[in-house]
Amino acid sequence: MSDALIRRSLEPTIFRVLTLAFSVFIVAYILIPILVTLVMSFNDATQIRFPIKVWSLKWYGDFFASPQWTEALFNSFTIAIGTALIATTSGVLAAWAFERYDFPLKSLLYVLIMMPLFMPGVVLGLGVAIAFGGVEIAGVDLYGSRGLVMIAHSLWAMPLVFMLMEATFRTIDNRVVEAAQDLGAPPVRTFFEVVIPMVSTGIISSVLFAFVISLNEFVMALFLTDRDTQTLPVLMWLSLRSAGTPRLAVASVILACTVFLCLTLIMLWYIRQLRKVAR
Amino acid sequence: MTTPALHLDRVRRVYGPVVAVDDVSLSVAKGEFVTLLGPSGSGKTSTLRLVGGFDQLDGGSIAINGERIDHLPAYQRDTATIFQSGALFPHKTVAENVAFGLRMRKVGTSEIADRVRQYLDIVRLGGFADRYPAQLSGGQKQRVALARSLAVRPAILLFDEPLSALDLSLRLQLRAEIKSLHDQLKFSAIYVTHDQGEAMAMSSRVAVMRNGAIEQIDTPTRIFHDPASEFVYTFIGESCCLRVNNAAQSLDLTLETPLLGEARLYVRPSRLRLGPDAASLPNRLKARVKFVEFLGDTNRYHLQAGDADLFADHAGEMSLAPGATVDLGWLTADMRVFR
Amino acid sequence: MSDAYTTARARLARRKAAAPWILMLPALIIVLIFFGLPTAYMARMSFNLHEGAKLYTPGFTFDHYINLFSNEVFTTAIWTTVKLSLMASVVTVIIGYAFALLVWLKPARWRLLFVGLALCPLLISEIAIIFGWWMFFPKNGLLSFALMSSGLITDKISLMYTEFAAFVGLVYVTLPFCFFILLSILDGMDKRMLEAGADLGASPLVTFREVLLPLTRTGLLVAFSQSFIWTMGTYATPSALGPDTLWTMGFLIQEQMLGRSNWPLASALSMVLVVGVAVVITFTRSLSAKRTTLHV
Repeated sequence: MSDALIRRSLEPTIFRVLTLAFSVFIVAYILIPILVTLVMSFNDATQIRFPIKVWSLKWYGDFFASPQWTEALFNSFTIAIGTALIATTSGVLAAWAFERYDFPLKSLLYVLIMMPLFMPGVVLGLGVAIAFGGVEIAGVDLYGSRGLVMIAHSLWAMPLVFMLMEATFRTIDNRVVEAAQDLGAPPVRTFFEVVIPMVSTGIISSVLFAFVISLNEFVMALFLTDRDTQTLPVLMWLSLRSAGTPRLAVASVILACTVFLCLTLIMLWYIRQLRKVAR
Repeated sequence: MTTPALHLDRVRRVYGPVVAVDDVSLSVAKGEFVTLLGPSGSGKTSTLRLVGGFDQLDGGSIAINGERIDHLPAYQRDTATIFQSGALFPHKTVAENVAFGLRMRKVGTSEIADRVRQYLDIVRLGGFADRYPAQLSGGQKQRVALARSLAVRPAILLFDEPLSALDLSLRLQLRAEIKSLHDQLKFSAIYVTHDQGEAMAMSSRVAVMRNGAIEQIDTPTRIFHDPASEFVYTFIGESCCLRVNNAAQSLDLTLETPLLGEARLYVRPSRLRLGPDAASLPNRLKARVKFVEFLGDTNRYHLQAGDADLFADHAGEMSLAPGATVDLGWLTADMRVFR
Repeated sequence: MSDAYTTARARLARRKAAAPWILMLPALIIVLIFFGLPTAYMARMSFNLHEGAKLYTPGFTFDHYINLFSNEVFTTAIWTTVKLSLMASVVTVIIGYAFALLVWLKPARWRLLFVGLALCPLLISEIAIIFGWWMFFPKNGLLSFALMSSGLITDKISLMYTEFAAFVGLVYVTLPFCFFILLSILDGMDKRMLEAGADLGASPLVTFREVLLPLTRTGLLVAFSQSFIWTMGTYATPSALGPDTLWTMGFLIQEQMLGRSNWPLASALSMVLVVGVAVVITFTRSLSAKRTTLHV
């Protein structure tokens, strides 16, 4: 009897201690690789070695002075912008078709469009590489081109945009769309003048998520790029395999900062829209 | 004879096994305000959506100003709809909302500005041009929707239960405003509603719909006083029903002309006289008081005669306690008999 | 006369029927040409011959599949992958579940902070994460340094290139998927249910076992299969952090493709992976048929 009583009074304390311990663990677990990288990027030494003795911005200077690395960064940005455009355009249009129309094989097509999202990057990269390896369009080798990487990245980005936009389109009032047509706007004009502004937050999020996915991805890019078109993550991967230097940390920080900048933009746009439309 | 603003000829729409619109024919003259009145599922909204072009017909034809339009998509039809929720463009200001239809019709910039101002003044929202819909009240939104539709000066305005989402006082106010706008601007309109009060108050003519077909179409007064069917009679106003059966007459009922066979006899509660007033009338009935409701200007007496539940409205004081027996009386002209 | 209107109406109906296909065209081109076609091509490729130094020789053989399931190198790799994925997924689900419960039960003001935290591994490139751990585990890494300074050890230690390091990296990358799936399921539940359990005198453990676990079982399975799919396919994290002997499917595909130039075998491996993923997806979909969200 008293044993049970002790147990009952002890249990909440044990529970609280466990909760605290777990919180500390999870915060540490998630932050360790991020903080280590951030700290290392300000290291002055050539080697990755703790403790850090001298702090400097040397490796940032080094990064931007190296044509190889800046070019990789440029490639990454080009490919990410291309992916964002391709994935957003195709994903938004397809989502609108699913929301607005009824057509045969709808659920099958849904699965088909979503499927690539669940496929490992190795498989997608390999598939595109062997299928388009020798293909030339207008004398330009498709393999190794930035365009092919953009499309390969869209295989992940487009289903994500599609999913996001399907949910977004579902929130708009169909009568507003009808009102636009009723007042004389043809379907295309209705789409651009009425529908798109109503889902602008979804579109901006789609563009930036697609951008981020492409920016971070490196397995498909590894299979599909050559020396001239390799992206920053690919270059990081290759130099990690040879020897890691704080330059890699700088590259990581630059990638992460770009991503968080995108996230901030989404937030700002969201707040702006919230002020304007929903009260 | 002048061409009607809108003409529907045996319009038909079928959804699987359900005939939503069943050979509806209807003409709206220029400047006429026609209401489609009916319970939900009667096909009134389906009819309106066919006219607006949001749905395709399965048979018949629709003409605006004498020209067939049923083969045209919504954006090529000279109609403008006022939706239940207003359906304003949330990301456009009030002025941009009103200007939208004009821009689509390629009206010149300066004329757009003039017309936007003109119609916002008409709906008394002159100072609200730069607001967003989210900053407006429900009634204001509906007035913007009205201005937006009026501004394009369509051949016909389509109202899709525009007031049903508003509360009662606002509904009454806006309904009066729409009526005075119609008197002032003389637009042609079809107005869909399930509220007979709205239909009676605003319309040039009312079409009562049931099961996808028009049951009766006439002026509000004629509909009210001379309903074509039992359905129309019971739908457009309150009524009391007595089932009369000569064989087993359990009612203490006196009629001017006796009825033969089975029949249903209807009287409006406002036309029933109670107590001493009833004695001089040609038709009389004895009933028992169940309870009394105080309605303000009048009292409503809930009564029982045989197995029929009745109610009668009476102004003035009367000391009738529940359980008391009372005389009811009415004029033959106020009575309607359906078999 | 009426014929003209009938044709006009038919044209309108046709245009309406064509509209969704026009809208879907870009998406379908991407999926069919850049996913469907390569998959079909890969399926065909996996039956081709591989002779000498050539990438492939056209032909038809089941050799590669037979090889996959009989050659010890590959059976070991498949087994390693499955084992690693299973273990990593179980651990991910446990940590993810605890994390989601923590966020769900904590007051709302903590929520944004924790959700932001959980987003980090999702938004940071896998390569940056790998590199982060790559600096944490080795002899001169932060772990060794921290343990030395605290006096817990006297000699530098390295956990780099161990299965443990690979494991830590894998769990890290999959954790956010699990977390968000489970959090969305917990969010759909009424927290007062737990109070009701406590009111009836049940201890937290009993409440968990009797109330929470049965209600979140589907979510747990979805989360588990999601991480399983992901870990099965990945190759960067385990090959960068783990020992050289840790050959996962993803690593083998990459190795056969780029290292050995054996396209048919790489294709056969990919097909096995694709089929595996498809099976898991079908399984998950059938589980969550009544739930609307299984998405990441």
